[in-house]
Amino acid sequence: MPISHSSLLSSTPASIRSLWLSALAMLLALALSSAAFFAPTHFLPWLAGIELVLLVHGMLNQGKISGLVRYIVLQLLFTIVLYLAIHGGNKVSEGVLAVARILLAIVPGWWLTNTVSTEAIGAILGKMMPNKWAFVVVASINLLPYMANEVREIYQLQRLRGARIAPKQLLNPRNWGEFSYCVIFPLLIQLLKLARQTAVAAKARHFGYHAKRTLWPSQRSEHDN
Amino acid sequence: MRLIELDGVSFNFGSRQPWVFRDITFRLDSGSCHCITGPTGSGKSTLLQLLAGLQERPFEGGVFRRQGMLAGLVMQDPQVQLLRQTVGAEVAFALENLALTSEQMVPMVQRALRRVGLFVSLDCPINILSLGQKYRLMMAAQLVCNPQVLLLDEPWAQLDNLGVQELTMVIRGLVAEGIAVVMCEHNPAAFEEVVDHYWQLSDGVLMSGIYRTEKRIPLQAQAHSDDVIIEAEPFEYRFHGDAPLFACEQPLQVCAGELVTIYGNNGTGKSSLMKAIAGMQGNIAPLPLKVFGERPKVGHYGQRLGLLMQRPNRQLFENTVLDEVAFSLRRFGLPQEQAQALLEELGLGELAEQSPHKLSYGQQHLVALASLVCYQPQLLLLDDPLAGLDSEYFDRFCMMINRLRQQGTAVLLSSHRPLPHTPVSQQWQIADGLLLPSTCTQDAAYAY
Repeated sequence: MPISHSSLLSSTPASIRSLWLSALAMLLALALSSAAFFAPTHFLPWLAGIELVLLVHGMLNQGKISGLVRYIVLQLLFTIVLYLAIHGGNKVSEGVLAVARILLAIVPGWWLTNTVSTEAIGAILGKMMPNKWAFVVVASINLLPYMANEVREIYQLQRLRGARIAPKQLLNPRNWGEFSYCVIFPLLIQLLKLARQTAVAAKARHFGYHAKRTLWPSQRSEHDN
Repeated sequence: MRLIELDGVSFNFGSRQPWVFRDITFRLDSGSCHCITGPTGSGKSTLLQLLAGLQERPFEGGVFRRQGMLAGLVMQDPQVQLLRQTVGAEVAFALENLALTSEQMVPMVQRALRRVGLFVSLDCPINILSLGQKYRLMMAAQLVCNPQVLLLDEPWAQLDNLGVQELTMVIRGLVAEGIAVVMCEHNPAAFEEVVDHYWQLSDGVLMSGIYRTEKRIPLQAQAHSDDVIIEAEPFEYRFHGDAPLFACEQPLQVCAGELVTIYGNNGTGKSSLMKAIAGMQGNIAPLPLKVFGERPKVGHYGQRLGLLMQRPNRQLFENTVLDEVAFSLRRFGLPQEQAQALLEELGLGELAEQSPHKLSYGQQHLVALASLVCYQPQLLLLDDPLAGLDSEYFDRFCMMINRLRQQGTAVLLSSHRPLPHTPVSQQWQIADGLLLPSTCTQDAAYAY
């Protein structure tokens, strides 16, 4: 028998305790990320200490920091080159401080995605905003690993085609345009296509049929696996 | 029982756009299995979306859909349909939207996974599944709602032979239960055991029968030289921290001018091997592999190596087809006239000034390949290059490969299955965790 759209049943929430913990984790991540930008400079070492604990906790939860490290090294490199080009050697320390704040803003998000399931994030967001918005946020988080892989593969493919985007070539700001043209532009096109296809895929599975969705139980008895 | 009926339906993507299909009539009854064939870009996927009720653009004509009927659509690329991170949550997505309780979901999800032969844990991360397994996961995600109509877009291209056999059995079971199945397929013969109506969609017209093209350019047999391009000692291919994906117990060698096919089921490691040869694959144990006498490193070989990965349209970025094809010529300091000459040779000259982003899937595929062929690499790696291409595009693909091999290029081509009637010099089969190379003698190659 097909499931009828009219066979509505009341929703059963996932573990209330786990949802509360997830909500607290989200609030903590939001507060720490905001503090990274708004806190006075002398407070940053304290923030770094707290985030070091999150980093260790995330790694204990199988989180990988290699991508984070690569990104921040590249960011540091670009920022220093830019500061040197614009301000000379005097203000490099300001650039380093700006990158430190970016790192402190990113780490809580990294920790959150490694310790709280996206289903739980979706469930909490679903209580605070319309389901469609919550879905968009969760789908975006889910797509991050896929998009990271896409960036890597497009970058490598363009290097094979002769694009001047090898790390050494990117030290020359004249090649940054080639990077955005060869890598970022195709990536944006992929993102647009993906957004459209994801929307069709969600609609094909009755997304938006009811204002309130129920949730897949992420914690079940062992024999249900 | 009539489930869907199209009566004189016409559709296009805008008032000034050409018709995708015109005045088509189609009736779908329960317990029937239909296969729609047609050239790449003829509108087959659009027709499936229309049947699924997911086409948001206006259309002309009448569409009957049985009240309360559910239709499930599995699109061509499973990767873009994944919305969750674990198998159970992915399959349950539709049930969440229909507001079923979590107690009801678990047995329904388990049953749907069993129906498609996917025996994995509900908490299994989706990213470790192969492409074929993901396609079956998408089928389960539709079947979990027990739809009366199941629509499948190009399943053969995504599945290996085992996957096709299993899907055939699944479809037979569904049809016996009264579910109607409609699939779009470039290789209709693959499902002839279960299909009872064939259709061809071409030039906007839908009529009975199988779409066939007469043109056929074969891949030619070529003599090859003794110049070694790839050589490898016996090795184990293993990702860091994982068990070996496969092992090769014999040394491998590929010489200039050879055509080597690598085939195996989904997830056996074909794409990973291709990337390792190009120096793109990180996170693996070092391989005793040399390409042009050196350890593979991305970007190290310049114009000597070309790689076409799956979904090649993602490498397109220029404003015109001509610029796209000429990009590598500019970067490698080669004459740019080669780009126009190649496009003319392929019969794509009229597309030269068009944007590559507005071309059909097959045309984009060819442009991406042409952008590699034009700089005449000595080694060309092609990862499943024939997926989703019809005979017309296959002909042009063969033209390019023949042209390169005449100039001494070695070509490695991966596929889910061995290519019939193809004069390969070697076949590397990856099965049961082993890479088994077999050499075809020149006589045997010519005998195809």
